[in-house]
Amino acid sequence: METLSEEQAKLEQRGSLDKTIGDVQATIDLLVNARYAIITNPDSAGKALATLQTPVKKSFDRVKADLSEIHTALSEYGKALPKASKDKPFPTAENDALSSHPSLVNRAIAMHLLREGQFGVASTFIAEANSHPPHTAAIPDTSSGLSDGIRWEQDFADGTFKSESLQRQFGEMYHILSSLRQHHDLGPAIVWARWHSAILEARGSNLEFELHRLQFVCLFLGVAPLNGQSSFSGDDSNGPLKAWQYAKTHFAPFQARYGREIQQLLGALAFHQNLSDSPYRRTFHTDSAWEDVATSFTREFCSLLGLSADSPLYIAATAGAIALPTLVKLQNIMKEKRTEWTTVHELPVPTPLPPHLIFHSIFVCPVSKEQATDANPPMMMPCGHVIAKESLDRISKGARFKCPYCPSESRPSEARKVVL
Amino acid sequence: MAEPTTTKLNPETHLLLDQPLLRMPYELSRKNYKAASRIFEQHRDATLKDLKNSANAALSAPDAPKALSDLDAMISRLQTLKRKLSDLQQTEENIQRQSKARIAHLNELYQIPSLADVKYDEWSRVRLDRLLVDYLLRSGYGESARQLAQEKGIEELVDVEAFVECFRIEESLRKGQPKAALLWCADNKQALKKINSNLEFELRLQQYIEMIRTGDTQKLMEATMYARKFLAPHQDTNFAIRAAGLLAFPPDTPAEPYKTLYSSARWEHLATLFVQTHHSLFSLPPRPLLHIALSAGLSALKTPFCHSQTASCSENALSSTTSVCPICSTELNTLARNVPYAHHTKSHVENDPVVLPNGRIYGSERLRQFNEMVGTAPGKIKDPRDPMGTAYDESQVKKVYIS
Repeated sequence: METLSEEQAKLEQRGSLDKTIGDVQATIDLLVNARYAIITNPDSAGKALATLQTPVKKSFDRVKADLSEIHTALSEYGKALPKASKDKPFPTAENDALSSHPSLVNRAIAMHLLREGQFGVASTFIAEANSHPPHTAAIPDTSSGLSDGIRWEQDFADGTFKSESLQRQFGEMYHILSSLRQHHDLGPAIVWARWHSAILEARGSNLEFELHRLQFVCLFLGVAPLNGQSSFSGDDSNGPLKAWQYAKTHFAPFQARYGREIQQLLGALAFHQNLSDSPYRRTFHTDSAWEDVATSFTREFCSLLGLSADSPLYIAATAGAIALPTLVKLQNIMKEKRTEWTTVHELPVPTPLPPHLIFHSIFVCPVSKEQATDANPPMMMPCGHVIAKESLDRISKGARFKCPYCPSESRPSEARKVVL
Repeated sequence: MAEPTTTKLNPETHLLLDQPLLRMPYELSRKNYKAASRIFEQHRDATLKDLKNSANAALSAPDAPKALSDLDAMISRLQTLKRKLSDLQQTEENIQRQSKARIAHLNELYQIPSLADVKYDEWSRVRLDRLLVDYLLRSGYGESARQLAQEKGIEELVDVEAFVECFRIEESLRKGQPKAALLWCADNKQALKKINSNLEFELRLQQYIEMIRTGDTQKLMEATMYARKFLAPHQDTNFAIRAAGLLAFPPDTPAEPYKTLYSSARWEHLATLFVQTHHSLFSLPPRPLLHIALSAGLSALKTPFCHSQTASCSENALSSTTSVCPICSTELNTLARNVPYAHHTKSHVENDPVVLPNGRIYGSERLRQFNEMVGTAPGKIKDPRDPMGTAYDESQVKKVYIS
């Protein structure tokens, strides 16, 4: 990449038409001089024009030379280019599940734009997609049994698909997030969390308490929201008192679940004068608290909508870019060896991803080395070892059998289906 | 055996989808250069010829005013040349600025140590925006593309103008207007010849067909002349013969191949052919990059659980200890239905798995965390998938061995 950068700089310098333009100007000057000579001496017109021919031709040759220098520079740069891209690696269109579903791709993009908070682009996109529905590529439909006859653009237009409400939802999310991040104002988030309190609690989320706790800490330290609401004066001495008031009114519902944390918070009141030396100093460290709360809020918000916290489009594209080199290599090998890839439902090679891009547990049967599916679920024998159902059937043949991993014996009927 | 996870980042192989990024400015540069030399040659030849003629004329019959006006004409011609070259230089500078920005963008990847790095995350987001703009442009959503590129500040990294132009011509073909496409062909004549493109012949043939379709004698005569001029030079003589055959068949003929030739679906075919030719001329991949990245990504992420009847334990929207899998999320779920799932050679489960009486398996640490958060009574355990359901005795939770 470094060399390419140098080549580009070279091209920028040598590929410029400036010199060419200069030489064209020189040619013009020749003609202008000749014109001047003819004006001063009209009788010499013929001679002047005749003698002009050779210099003009030479001047044109110089321009030509300038141009061919540009050509050389360009082809040198062109030679440097393919080094960055050795083979022609674009996967072929054979197994393309996406081209036949342009409207689904469009829907995914619209939702991506909405969740990224790009409402302007999203509405332009929806309008454009409405007026030019996608041309379905002439690739045979890979989804025979799929009933996606629903035109999402239409749905978006009459709002039967969740679009309108989705846009409103994300609008709300961005409003709350910007209050949190830019203004350090917890108000809107707390209102939202209280509204969804029951469901958050069932999810085992401590978001609501976290918000209240941060509010308490802010009051205690006398930190005002950045937009400077009047109720929060910079008066430090009042802080602990306000915090105490706040705790009395808001902490009651959390007493059962977060008793210990609340005790700690209230205990800190006693140290309000020398907090930095107290054992409570860490509780009141708010540097990363805002970002943490914002992230956890985004996650809860999206989860309640049944959506993943990070844009799926982003994750899938990233995972795709990571997996592509392997897949391209595979494609090349298959072409060379003229082999076919027979497992339609499963990729033939592992495509390793970074840990944060792995979401489900994976169960690979240690006997058959196949992944568990709905038809072939993992089964746990009484000894606690797990193998796939097909393997179990094969080993046991319906009779009492020994676990392949330990000495214990059991009957197939004693094995239980487990869910990972 | 390959590890199921990796954080290794190899920039050389990672930059697969990004080749057109550098190719495109290069092709544009070359096109620019060719335009410059063509213009120069035209003007040079004309000027030299005029100069010779007027010198000869002046020598045989000296006429100063005539010589002066000849010179003026030459000077103004060269000034036009100069102006045109300056315009091209302007374009070239823009192209080079793009090239530079793109190289810098790709170079950033070489500075990133691993896939888990925050910088990779940022880089990848920019890449997604690029892929999205590419997709939007190819689908003809130029305005959205422009707006997105502008909001994200990646105008230098995407080729909005080229695609908008391409789409405009494509649409005009769909409407049955070959003019813009023919102009484009004339612009790229040399390059088209090099890749042995049939596009121009096909377009001419279509024009010829349209003339015949009228059935008007005058038009038929014209069509014949037109065919002699434009269709006869085709390498394959059958091409012209077949075209001539059209004269004998009316537009509603059931006879093949004439029926197909008369069909209005040919316009659609021409539009597709044009886009193909355009993309191969500029070394653009035929499919949207987003499709390539997504179909690979969907497969790599997909597990047999993603479209399973039984909801998986390791991922669900009900518990805040896990995040929702992107394939299970509404946006991509239906799309992912048709792609193969990822291949794994090893099980990948949470540490220290335990099984609940209902057959669900969880990592013991996560199970403990969850129960602490919901505030389950001591000695009891609740299933995170079913927080309102029964609480099991701790003794009922069994260790499970997964190899």
